[in-house]
Order: sequence, then C-alpha cells, then structure tokens
Amino acid sequence: MDRRRPDSDMGVNRRFDRLVLSTRLALVAGFGGLLMVITLGGIDTIRVLEEIRHNGQQIRQEFLSRNHTLNDIRSNLYLSGTYVRDYLLEPEPERAESYRSTLEQVRTDMDSALESYGSRLDPQESKDYAALKVELARYWDVLGPVLKLNAYERQQKGYAFLRDEVFPRRMAMLDIANRIAAINEQQLNSGNNRDAALLSSFQTRLAVTLAITLILGVALATFSMRRILNLESKAHLQYKDVVEARRQLENLSARLVQAQETERRSLARELHDEVGQALSAVLVELRNLSTDLAVQSEERLSRHLETIKDLVENTVRTIRNMSLLLRPSMLDDLGLIPALRWQAREVSRQTCMDVTVSTDLVSDDLPDEYKTCIYRVVQEALHNCSRHSHATAVRINVLQEPRHLTLSIRDNGRGFDVKQSKGLGLLGIEERAAHLGGKCTIHSEPGSGTVLAIDLPFTQEQNAKASERNSNLVSG
Amino acid sequence: MQKPVKEIRILLADDHNVMRAGLKLLLEKQPGFKVVGEASDGHQAIENAMTLRPDVVVLDIAMPKLTGIEAAQRISAQLPQTAIVILSMHSDEGYVLRALKSGAKGYLLKDSAESDLIEAIKVISEGKAFFSPEISKVLAEDYVREIKMRGVEDSYDLLTLREKEVLQLLVEGQSNKDIATMLNLSLYTVETHRRNLQNKLNLHSFPELILYAVRKGIIS
Repeated sequence: MDRRRPDSDMGVNRRFDRLVLSTRLALVAGFGGLLMVITLGGIDTIRVLEEIRHNGQQIRQEFLSRNHTLNDIRSNLYLSGTYVRDYLLEPEPERAESYRSTLEQVRTDMDSALESYGSRLDPQESKDYAALKVELARYWDVLGPVLKLNAYERQQKGYAFLRDEVFPRRMAMLDIANRIAAINEQQLNSGNNRDAALLSSFQTRLAVTLAITLILGVALATFSMRRILNLESKAHLQYKDVVEARRQLENLSARLVQAQETERRSLARELHDEVGQALSAVLVELRNLSTDLAVQSEERLSRHLETIKDLVENTVRTIRNMSLLLRPSMLDDLGLIPALRWQAREVSRQTCMDVTVSTDLVSDDLPDEYKTCIYRVVQEALHNCSRHSHATAVRINVLQEPRHLTLSIRDNGRGFDVKQSKGLGLLGIEERAAHLGGKCTIHSEPGSGTVLAIDLPFTQEQNAKASERNSNLVSG
Repeated sequence: MQKPVKEIRILLADDHNVMRAGLKLLLEKQPGFKVVGEASDGHQAIENAMTLRPDVVVLDIAMPKLTGIEAAQRISAQLPQTAIVILSMHSDEGYVLRALKSGAKGYLLKDSAESDLIEAIKVISEGKAFFSPEISKVLAEDYVREIKMRGVEDSYDLLTLREKEVLQLLVEGQSNKDIATMLNLSLYTVETHRRNLQNKLNLHSFPELILYAVRKGIIS
C-alpha cells in the first residue's frame, strides 16, 4: 500500500502478515459472534420457558386458592342461613343457643375468609368484593337483633324474618360470590392468555434469533470460503511460479552446456581451418622451396628448411589433435557412429585397451544435443577406463529404439565401489544425461568390471524424425 | 580410359588462396598437367566442373558453403568421367570411406599433398584408386592391431587364390569384363568370384572393398 517498490520483499511479507491477521480477526469475530448469538438464543429460550412454566403454576395456584376461599365463603353463607333458620325455628332455648354460637363461629370464619380473599384481591374484583362485603355486613346487621330474640319472639317473627330478610339476602350474596368466581375464572383465562402472548413473543424472538444465526452463518461461510479459495489460488500461483523458475533454471543450464559446445566447435574449427590450413600452406611453400634449393644443392639451407618443415608438421599435428579434442569435426561431418568409431580407434591406438563400437542403425539426423551428449559421455567414460580401470577391452553399444536411445559402455577392468567414489567425470555424465531427460546407471563392484548405461528418451517430434531415415551410415 | 600422353585438365578447389596457389604452382610445373580452373568453395567447384568438364577435380574437404564431400557427390553423379581427389586433414577411415562413397577415387592428406598429388592425379586419371601412403599405413596398422587384439581370423585367408586375384584387379579399377579378359575367364565366373569374396569378407559395397584393400595393403 505505502511505498511498495523499494524493499518489495519486506512489503510483500508485511502485506501477507496483514492479510493473515485480518483473516484471523474476521474468522474469530465471525465464529465468536455466531456462537454468542446461539448461546444468547439458548439462554433466552430457557428463561422464557421457565417463566411460562412458573407463570402457569402461579396462576393456577392462585386461582385454586381463591376459588377455595370463595367456596368457603359460599358454603359458610349456606350454613349461616341454615343455622339462622334452625335457630329461629328451635323452640328449645338451649339448643337455640348452641345454634347461635355456631352461627357466630361461622361469621368469624367467613370474615377471616373474606379478609384473606381481600388481601389477594384483583382490581377487577374490587367492586364486587366491596359489594359482597357491604352486603355481608348488612346481612349480619340484619341478623344482629334477631339473635337477641327470645323463644316466643322467634316463633312469632322467625319464619317471616327468614322469608323476607335472610333468604333474599343470602341469594344476593351468592350472586355476588358467583360473580367473583366468574371473574376469578376470567382471571385464569387472562393468565393463560398472558402465557400465550409470552409464548408467541418468544416464538418471534426465536425466529429472529434463528434468522440472525443463519444469516451470520451464511455470511461467515461465504467469507471463509472466499478467503480459502483466495489463499488456494495464491498458493497455486506461487507453486506455478516455483515450477516456472525451476524450468527456467534447467533451460538455462541446458543452454549453458549448449553454448559451451558451440563455442568449442567454433574454436575447434578456427584452430583447424584457419591456423592449421595456414600452416599447411606454409608447409607446401617450404617444400616447394626445398625442392628448388635441392636442385642447386645448397645443403645447409636445405637442412634448415627441413628443420622448419618438421617443426611446422608437428605444429599442424598438435593443432589438429587439440581441435579434435575440443570438438571432433567428424561428429558434424560424418555423424555419431563414425565419430565414435574414430574415438575407439584413437583410444585403442594410444592405450592397450581394445575398444569396439557396436550398434544397430542409428539415424543420421539425431538431434545435435543427443550426438554431443553421447559422444562426450563416451569420451569421459573411455578416459575413466584408461586411467582407473586397467581394462583390456571396452565395449560400446548404441541402441536406438523408437522412443529412446540407449548407450552402454562395458569394460573388463577392476571395477570400483559405486557408492564410495564418484568422480567429477561421472557427475558430468549424469548431468549431461539429465539435461536430455535421461537416466544414468552405473553397475560396478571391485573386481568385476564396470557397466555404465545411459537411457535418453526422445521427444515426440524427434520420434517422428528418427523413424524416417537411417541412411549414410558406416556399417560395421 | 584416357591416354597418358594426352594433357590432363585439372580443376583445383580449396578455400585457402595460399594453398591453392602453391598446389597450382606445383601442378603447372608438371608436364602434361594443366590447371584449367580454380574454386574457393563447394558451390563454385560444382559450377566450374560443369562448365569446364575437367579430367580431374582436386577438392579440399573443408570448404565453406558446401563441403568437398558433398561437392564430390554431385560432380561424380553428373560427370562420371571426371576423377576426384579429396584433400583432407583427417587420416581417419570414417572420412576415407565417406569420400569413397561420395565417388572420390583418391584421398590425400594435406600435409603431404605436394609430394603425392602428382602421382595421385596420374593414377586416378587412369581409373585407379590412390591414397596417401600415410593413410594406407594408418589403416593397415589399425587392421592388424584389431585382428591381433581380438584374436579373430583374418578373413583374407579365407579367400581362394582366384578370388584374391579378382579382388586385386577390382580395387585397381578394372571392370568385371576387363578382369574376365585378363584372367581368361567367363564374365559369369568373374561375377561369381566377386560375389563369393564379398560374402566371405562381409563387404557389400565397392567403397568398402577399396577401403579393405587399402587396409590389407593390396593397393596403396
């Protein structure tokens, strides 16, 4: 972002760190939020369910206890009416008195029941409750004088009193009590309704919570997925970069080998064609001169000329050998197999090894790098044989198959431990084979000779080419 | 076959002026020789050969544009009467065989060109093959060494006396018919001898026969 160009490596690292940090932060926030929403939703659910259960229980309990109290009041009211009648109609004073005291007891009970109901009063019931209370007070007021009557008076007025005062009032009070019971019932229903409302609001909340969870989850999943895909594509790009870099490196080293070979070739040509030819020409002139001089028999001059001639001849030979060593021109002029045969003959001449080349038809238009590779490998291997192996015979075999070319060099020397000693020469051989995608294997044990084998695969186009012509060969 | 008394017309092809001039000087001194043309590359050599129709073309093997071997191939295909000598730095049999296959009759090392060239031109203009003594020596040595090292039988010993005679005449440039006349045999018999000796030596082309003869010292 800021100053990217200078110190771009650091910039890349910092950007990468920031990317990782922001990703982690986003993931933590996303997953944390999601878990929090789920937790809160769960707690809320438990709380609401508990509340509903509690509310229902309370409502029911209250309803039951109030109903119970109301029933008490009602039954006491009936009882009071009964006792009043019994009292009024009882001729015997003693028993009347007992009825009266029971009646008093009933009144006390009713008062306490009414009082207890009053303590848990609902605002809706208050009017009816007050009416009941007033009616009850008046009831007792009406009853008050009656309870003081003697037996005669009771007999006189009792029945009329019961009929005119007690029963109507009792009916009115029962009415009120029924009304209160109805309200009580209504109360129960409204409590249930409250529960239902609570439940439905809870349902809404739960739906909202679920929706939020879902949305958040989807958002998080999308985000994570995109991040991961992004990282994946970056990793893929980086991998491709690495592969590309490696390929370039291989290309470069292959080109390096090729460049070296090209340079050697031009150097060899230069040495051979220019210097060698010029010296040869000098030689011809010298010989012409010496022939001329010989006629005039200038012996000393002629001796000098001979010396010069020998020197030049040696020089020509040296240069030719050098140039052939750098890059044998027959590789270009005659092809691989004649060049290999030449090399075999040269080595046979110079050492005490018998070197033979056997081959099936190897096409003449082998790609240059294959020719060079095989030639150099053979050169290196023969060099190794002559220096280390004490071999008396070396067999070089070149086999061309449709898809690959195999080269094997087998000697009958003293062998060596492959695992222990691997000189620069062998490494160079392996490197050359590897450049063409080939493999190099060496089988050797102390005392049992050495087989060096190379397998070079052809590419598609070379396949087609190689199968075409197998001509212009020096057959063996 | 040309009469030796007739003047031999020569085309010289070498990309090195000094070399060419030196060889020209050498050849001009020789009575009966005439350098009719020069060339400094392979293409020019072919062109000049076509127009001048010389008896002998002397071709340097390493020339720009077209090598001496390729030029020899084309010239010998177009002008079968023209004899070709290859001048080369290489004494290797790979080169010698390639030169022979391209139709050349002579193969000279450049180092010793001036001492052998006159002899070579004389010999090949008579239709025979010629090689630098150095070449013959190297090839013969290689042959002997190979036989010794491998302990194989010398296939030359398998040949009958007649076959050896036929081989000798063949590589000296005689035709089957000439050989029949010389040895007083029928043409068919000569052909049979030739086929048998080639099978015995496992050599199936004329250039290979010549090379073999050089190695064996049958011709030089």
